[in-house]
Amino acid sequence: MNALIIFVLLVALLLTGMPISIALGMSVLAFLYAFSTIPVEIISQRLFTGLDQFAIMAIPFFILAGAFLTSGGVAARIVNFATTLVGAMRGGLALSAVLSCAFFAALSGSSPATVVAIGSIMIPAMVKQGYPKAFGVGVIATSGGLGILIPPSIVMIIYAVSTNTSVGQLFIAGIVPGVLMAVTLMLVTWLVAKKHNYPTLPQASLREIWQAFRDSIWGLLIVVIVIGGIYGGIFTPTEAAAVSAVYAFVIAVFIYGDLKLRDVPRVLRESANMSAMLLYIITNAILFSFLLTSENIPQQMAQWIVDQGLAPWMFLLFVNVLLFFAGDFMEPSSIILILAPIFLPVAIKLGIDPIHLGIVMTINMELGMITPPVGLNLYVASGLARMGLTEVTLAAAPWILVVTAILLLVTYVPQIALWLPHLMYGIP
Amino acid sequence: MINRILDRLEEWLIASFMGLATLVIFFAVVHRYTSGIPWLWQYTRHLSTSWTQELCIYLFIWMAKFGAAYGVRTGIHVGVDVLVRSLTPARQRFFVILSLVSGAFFTATIALLGGKFVHFIYVTGQISPDLEMPMWIIYLAIPLGSSLMCYRFLQVLWHYLKSGELPVHTYGGDIEVAA
Repeated sequence: MNALIIFVLLVALLLTGMPISIALGMSVLAFLYAFSTIPVEIISQRLFTGLDQFAIMAIPFFILAGAFLTSGGVAARIVNFATTLVGAMRGGLALSAVLSCAFFAALSGSSPATVVAIGSIMIPAMVKQGYPKAFGVGVIATSGGLGILIPPSIVMIIYAVSTNTSVGQLFIAGIVPGVLMAVTLMLVTWLVAKKHNYPTLPQASLREIWQAFRDSIWGLLIVVIVIGGIYGGIFTPTEAAAVSAVYAFVIAVFIYGDLKLRDVPRVLRESANMSAMLLYIITNAILFSFLLTSENIPQQMAQWIVDQGLAPWMFLLFVNVLLFFAGDFMEPSSIILILAPIFLPVAIKLGIDPIHLGIVMTINMELGMITPPVGLNLYVASGLARMGLTEVTLAAAPWILVVTAILLLVTYVPQIALWLPHLMYGIP
Repeated sequence: MINRILDRLEEWLIASFMGLATLVIFFAVVHRYTSGIPWLWQYTRHLSTSWTQELCIYLFIWMAKFGAAYGVRTGIHVGVDVLVRSLTPARQRFFVILSLVSGAFFTATIALLGGKFVHFIYVTGQISPDLEMPMWIIYLAIPLGSSLMCYRFLQVLWHYLKSGELPVHTYGGDIEVAA
């Protein structure tokens, strides 16, 4: 009964259009006043202690690193490198766009940031080469989704924080599905390009490839810092994030010199703005899940679902469908923060690996970001190209199908996500 | 005038907290791996992992509380507006006002509760585990940040009632490409 009151309260408040963080906080406040014996004072303490975890602090650091990479010329050099690799194939520029997004995703933890970084270079370039604008926008909006699947990933950190799982293992688990997704997206792009006979670029010589690689190597080294550093036990994920932020600053300002020192305060301020917004949602969501836990709701729901005799695949299907609809209305971090603590106890009871659930939720979020009405990637890409949202959505349709197919594959074949982390962390 | 000072102070604070936290953790890592190098060691030996982590967390909590207030001004706190956008303008106006008032109400409540909590901690005289700073100063982030946030909500509300405009945050800052 209490569960019903809390969720009806939350959904009603959310639908008024108030900020998600405020809706979360208000529903906790209202519930505590009206139905609960827990003293309201606990809120102010929770708002502080909720954030008192070093793991959460990886989020602002990765946002800062991403901001330096986007404003520095790193994206342009990565695009250059990708173009020398696959440009000569049919639809070369579009294939390079997908590959660039995959590379950039390995440096940045956010999808919209990937869309902005690669899209602002590639959409105009594709249009200039005679691709239909909608095609270019569709490619970028979907490939940008790789940003949260290929590590580092802010969405995965949020999942790790709200379920007490290992950020390192989640990152490693994202690699195989991420590469699979990138390859499939390229394949479909190539097929579409072949059908419409889109242009190719001249074949780059080995020398040009090497030159482009050397130009972009400074940016690509971040992959080594983050994945190598975390896996090799050199850093915690948060430290890796801080080091890559400093490193990104150094290459943007001193090595490539595309970012002026006087722009640094602006980059810091914008990253602080974005981080604070996420941290504010996180605090209020932690407050909300504290309320759920103290009312024993996740446990009760888990028991109820188990009592229904649901098979694991039926539960996963339910997760897929629920997240698909949730992803159409809200942005990923809030959804994960609200739903992951509720799904997790059920998953554990049904024998589903928490790391697997995390990867499934991440890909589900990716799908949500490219489907209307609230597809953040579509929104950002259509803003870059100054196109209507409906046109962009129609253009993204073939790739939306690809992402759906990969989502189902990774959901029902857990080994795709779990094979690499099990191998690397020696779990049988 | 006072508003302008407050704006600059807020921006300056969150940017420096962000930068400072990054440097603290960066140098803590450098310290850990340079302890064998004597000339560097004499500069880095005062950094230890436990208090740098604590400092980083406190800096980010302060940044988060004041940044959330800054975010109201830049319109970055988004909600689920699918339903509201399908309504008539008059009803939309009602919901916009409702959500701004709720924001102001929630943050004001938190500011009050936070203030009470700070007073409670002040009386107990708690200090933080590693930095040994008085905890009440650190907890001050909640009432101060929340009050500022409340003020920002009221400011946005006032501006909306006067001009009908809301701050809108665009992704990627000023990067916009006309393709």
